[in-house]
Amino acid sequence: MNRPRTGRPAAYLRFLAAAFTANLQAVVEYRISFLIQVFGMMLNNAAFAAFWAVLIARTGSVGGYGFTDVMVIWALTSTSFGIAHVLWGNVRSLGSIIQRGELDVYLLQPKDPFVNVLASRTIVSAWGDLAYGYLVLAFLPGTGPERLALFTLLALGGAVIFAAVFSAAESLTFFLGNAGPLSQAVTEFLISFSLYPETIFDSGMRWIFYTILPSGFIAFVPLAVYRSLDWPLVPVLLGVAAVYAGGAYGLFRAGLRRYESGNQMGTRL
Amino acid sequence: MPVITVENLSKTFRTRVRSEGLGASLRALIRPEWRTVQAVREVSFSVEEGEVVAFLGPNGAGKSTTIKMLTGILTPDSGGARVLGLEPSRDRTRLAMGIGAVFGQKSQLWFHLPPSDSFRLLGAIYEIPAPELARRRAELVERFGIGPYMDVPVRKLSLGERIRCEIAASLLHAPRVLFLDEPTIGLDVVVKREIRALLADLRAREGVTIFLTSHDIGDIEKICKRAIIIHHGAVVVDESMKTLKHRALARKYIGVKYAAPADLELPGLAPVKRTEDAASFVVDTRKHNLQEVIRALVDRGEVLDLTVEDEPLEDIIAEVFRGRSEEEARGAARAGGEAES
Amino acid sequence: MIAHSLKGPGRTGKPSAALRKYGTAGLVSLQSRMAYPAAFAGSLLTYGLFVFVFSRIWAALYSGRAEIAGYDRTMMVWYFIVAEIPAFGFGRFYYSLAEDMKSGQVAYLLTRPYGFTAYHFSQALGPALADCLVLALEGILLGLLLGGPFPLTTLTQGAALVLSLLLAGCLQFFLQFAIAMTAFWIEENAAFFWIYQKLALIAGTFLPLEFLPGAASAAARWTPFPYLSWAPARIAVAWDSREALLLLAAQAAWTAAAALLCRAVFAAGRGKITANGG
Repeated sequence: MNRPRTGRPAAYLRFLAAAFTANLQAVVEYRISFLIQVFGMMLNNAAFAAFWAVLIARTGSVGGYGFTDVMVIWALTSTSFGIAHVLWGNVRSLGSIIQRGELDVYLLQPKDPFVNVLASRTIVSAWGDLAYGYLVLAFLPGTGPERLALFTLLALGGAVIFAAVFSAAESLTFFLGNAGPLSQAVTEFLISFSLYPETIFDSGMRWIFYTILPSGFIAFVPLAVYRSLDWPLVPVLLGVAAVYAGGAYGLFRAGLRRYESGNQMGTRL
Repeated sequence: MPVITVENLSKTFRTRVRSEGLGASLRALIRPEWRTVQAVREVSFSVEEGEVVAFLGPNGAGKSTTIKMLTGILTPDSGGARVLGLEPSRDRTRLAMGIGAVFGQKSQLWFHLPPSDSFRLLGAIYEIPAPELARRRAELVERFGIGPYMDVPVRKLSLGERIRCEIAASLLHAPRVLFLDEPTIGLDVVVKREIRALLADLRAREGVTIFLTSHDIGDIEKICKRAIIIHHGAVVVDESMKTLKHRALARKYIGVKYAAPADLELPGLAPVKRTEDAASFVVDTRKHNLQEVIRALVDRGEVLDLTVEDEPLEDIIAEVFRGRSEEEARGAARAGGEAES
Repeated sequence: MIAHSLKGPGRTGKPSAALRKYGTAGLVSLQSRMAYPAAFAGSLLTYGLFVFVFSRIWAALYSGRAEIAGYDRTMMVWYFIVAEIPAFGFGRFYYSLAEDMKSGQVAYLLTRPYGFTAYHFSQALGPALADCLVLALEGILLGLLLGGPFPLTTLTQGAALVLSLLLAGCLQFFLQFAIAMTAFWIEENAAFFWIYQKLALIAGTFLPLEFLPGAASAAARWTPFPYLSWAPARIAVAWDSREALLLLAAQAAWTAAAALLCRAVFAAGRGKITANGG
């Protein structure tokens, strides 16, 4: 009790670093299944790369996207998704954690429960997604130190947006009781839309990519930034990511007031 | 000075009524039916520094809900609680620094990592300086005898090994109050005894206030000095363990076994169970002299075995509940059947 | 039942009894699948999303072009709808089969009067057919919305398509079962399945075989992969009775070969169980 230190940024960083170290150890602990999963993921992605290679070999481009463009949005989406699940492995388990009353453990600890619960797990196979983006870049022409640095910043922003959208959908569990199917649909749609050229979709539905399913901020705008090395837009994108994160945080806090800690007594009466 | 004060604490849950079948599910989507459950009603008590208190009650009595309000997990609807001078729901993070908790089966250890890694992570969460963490860790490892498990992934530990690590982990930041919700659930007798010894030792060494819920009467008899019994969300008994047990001392359970069939008719005392050569009796010492009863039994034949036991605490609590329910029933009848919930 | 088990697995008496036995096994697992209609929702959603996104890709691809490699836009939309039905509906047998292999179910099943392969076949195919039926209804609806009129017009053509889809399902099962049974030797065999799955995707599921570069397309025709999705999709969108007959014959031949492969793998693997002392 004689340590009123809680909430300082340095303490938070130390905590996040410790959580990250624990995450790395989990990968070592499961290295065989890690390698198998990374292999499977690479295969899957390679099949799609082959699809695009065949298609674009026939027509030169699809919706104005060349092969390199499609591969860059794949790389961005894959690495962003990977970072989100490596750093905040509970983003897509948040709903079931709330439902089963497992938030208790995090509420008992002197750290923000949202950050604490998200950072307390890593998804081993997500390291493969993270690595895949860089692997793709290694094979693409024009990759240099500057593009790698830019790519990393863009992917970090994308990771924050992924995590914000997923965790917001999961937080709806506070209000709906079971947001599982909804969250699954959001996940699938967001990933799918982020992997295909924006231009194939009607302009009438593209507003979705800049609102509830922000593929635009994860893949399409970052692609343009990456292509033209448009550094001034990077802080704007990171700002947008911060807004999404703030929204997700607000939703979680609002829901937390309704948290019933798995006291489902009465539901079966 | 009390470390925990609770005044008129109440909590109501509003839950959705779900019925079986697709039609009912669809109806519920449009017009959900709600029902409210008063989990805790007007509960008041206080706990002094260094006390060891048992918080008892049947399933759904409101034990966990109360403990969750005391630790800041749930916000009370009305009434107030103070723990270490703080209001749990408002000062949750500050309070967390001063309390420890072991909650049933909700583990704070990382499942796939050895406890040593979780301890390091908890050190960061509780902002314990490295040298202090190392000292405290070494001390707890020694006292809890968990040295051999520190580098084994938690998923490979037995439940008993895990719960010892779990309690040690909750003590890393040297909390002044320890909340335990069903700490020995699912453990075997030997491990239960070990855990109780550790808790008694903890109280003796560090003066930690311990607030414990359990179904296991053994836990409570062995380590608690005071019992609070809660039923239907309200406190029905709050007295020292001694007083509670004193009621039990009025009654003794006697078991006897003879070498050969014997006549077991005692004047005014019928056996609760009997075979040809064995029987058990419940003796109310306010009506019968215990010594005379035993002498009479010994006179009936060659005794192979004779046991005298206190009434189990379960039965005492059940009796309290039974008395309470009867009162309630009478009260309800008087009030013209005022509906509950 | 005792009489049956004395004959040993796979050699039951009358064909009618066998049909009833495996029919019942298939029906029971079909019923347990139907008990949870919500379980369909996931694959319906993914399938629908896939069909939608790919119809948009084709729209972009065909802007300013009438045909590529003999396919126009409407054909491509319907091609993808048909080709993905076996990929979704029959594409995941491996997981439950592998689970059975690992959980020691094998030894247990060997004590039953079941043909090992026949039993698993009926177990897997019952619910998969229900999945395919639901997917096909969704696919037809989406095809009418996104592509155009259904390309087949006569009953014969429809029957050929259904037959081709069923053969694709059987071929999927036997190939996946053979892969699952490699667990007799190698426990972590998921990687084999993934490779199989991705080859199937490239060789005729995502795109018609005709889209592949000449050499790759020619080579693929000598593997079983095109007969998992390309054959039924081709029958659906580019009807030609002579080609349809050839495709069905090739599917039947590959299915028979794959069934024989399963037998061989099981015979070899079964010896392995006994050698290990059960």
